[in-house]
Amino acid sequence: MVCPNCQSNVSDKRNRCERCGHDLTIYKKIYRVSNLYYNIGLEKAKVRDLSGAITALRKSLELNKRNTNARNLLGLIYFEIGDTVAALTEWVISRHFKPDENDADKYINAVQDNPTRLDALNQAIKRYNNALTFARQGSEDLAIIQLKRVLQLNPHFIRAYQLLALLYIKMGETEKAKKCLLKASRIDVSNTTTLKYMKELEQQPALVREGASVSAGDSSTVMPVSTYKEEKPNVMAFVNLIVGVIIGLAVTVILIVPSIKRKNVAGNNQDYVDYNAGLAALEEKDAAIAKLQEENSDLQQKINELQAELDSIEIPEENPNLYDTLFQASSLYMDELSKRERDRDYTQIAQILRTTDTSQYESEEAMQLINRLKQEIFPLVSEEHYEKGYKLYSEYKYEEALDELFLAYDYDPTNVDAIYFIARTYHRLEDYESARTYYEIVINNFPDSRRYQNAVSYLSRLPE
Amino acid sequence: MINFDEEIEKFQPSPEIEQAEDLINNNDLTDITDLIKMILKDKDSNSF
Repeated sequence: MVCPNCQSNVSDKRNRCERCGHDLTIYKKIYRVSNLYYNIGLEKAKVRDLSGAITALRKSLELNKRNTNARNLLGLIYFEIGDTVAALTEWVISRHFKPDENDADKYINAVQDNPTRLDALNQAIKRYNNALTFARQGSEDLAIIQLKRVLQLNPHFIRAYQLLALLYIKMGETEKAKKCLLKASRIDVSNTTTLKYMKELEQQPALVREGASVSAGDSSTVMPVSTYKEEKPNVMAFVNLIVGVIIGLAVTVILIVPSIKRKNVAGNNQDYVDYNAGLAALEEKDAAIAKLQEENSDLQQKINELQAELDSIEIPEENPNLYDTLFQASSLYMDELSKRERDRDYTQIAQILRTTDTSQYESEEAMQLINRLKQEIFPLVSEEHYEKGYKLYSEYKYEEALDELFLAYDYDPTNVDAIYFIARTYHRLEDYESARTYYEIVINNFPDSRRYQNAVSYLSRLPE
Repeated sequence: MINFDEEIEKFQPSPEIEQAEDLINNNDLTDITDLIKMILKDKDSNSF
């Protein structure tokens, strides 16, 4: 043991401190009694008499505050009944008195190493305090809600069970109160408050049962002593049985059978109504199906018509080289424009433009361009061919002259000189019908031209 | 018959974890051994 005077270790067998000479007899007795209370507390804790254990362990610590075992066990019991702060307090004090090889370290670490759990326990305490405030203010409903949450957070909080039970008792909900108290009693079997509330709840039913139990006790405990006696057959009982059966049958026939019949009829009627309703629904569905089929056939016909129409449409093939000749002619034209006027030759461009098929042109701009080129180039080329044709005509080369003159006429149908000399050439070739045709073109279409008079004159000289 | 008001007054708020330090510091740890020591000390001082 430790000498209370000088704190040195002393053998348990000695009654006086070897260091300071202090008499240890009385202390040894006190320590022994403290250990005795610890043992009592331990025994009570083992059978879950936690209230009794707390009382014993407190006595143990009042005698010897350094009884580490008693203090650690007290902390464990406090923790078990939901008194977390009291438990931590006891373990911290225990560690203060015995810093080494102390189980309190293990307990403190177990709590502190799980912050979530510690926070839940603290929340339970805070909510319990709130619930207590609500209960004192008369807000039982709010208090009950808080206490239910407290018990979710810490299901060992005995005081929360007790307070909840008290509130339920006040509200007349005895069953719920009983459940709370039973749960509390499973944690601590001898808690005075729990037992008091349970007794309160059991008082009223006990009063109700009191009379019955007394009379039952009288009849059950005091049994009459009787001798053996053969029972006689009871005829009346048999008669009563028969009468009862007859009455039962009569009641069945009179009351129950008509009811069953009515029920059957009603059931049949209902079935009939259901059947009719089903038939109507079926007919409605058939009509809807027929209508849908008709619509379907109409739509299919429309699809076929549209498909046929679509097939009949010829989509022109896209020709990537369609405008190449136009581009070529334009390019050549620009080349010629860059030359001196007397060196320009539009013959090739005119041939390209004349042979270009513009029927597939979709671009309006392209059509405008090619027409403009024709307007610019064709009269010039026509004039060139006319000059050549006239020269050949003058050289009496009438066949060759006709080729050139027709080209001139082709490029420019208003080239009246070319038309006139076509007529003259045919006249020289003695093809009078052709000559007449072209003389008449000059006379009819170009009456204001200088060739008009000659055309009239030569036409009159043609043989009939 | 339980008197609710009397019973509710018996319930005391539970100390929260933030208050643990104060509880430890203010805990009265005097035991019988301390008292005997004080008595014996007083006795010795009076005898002189």
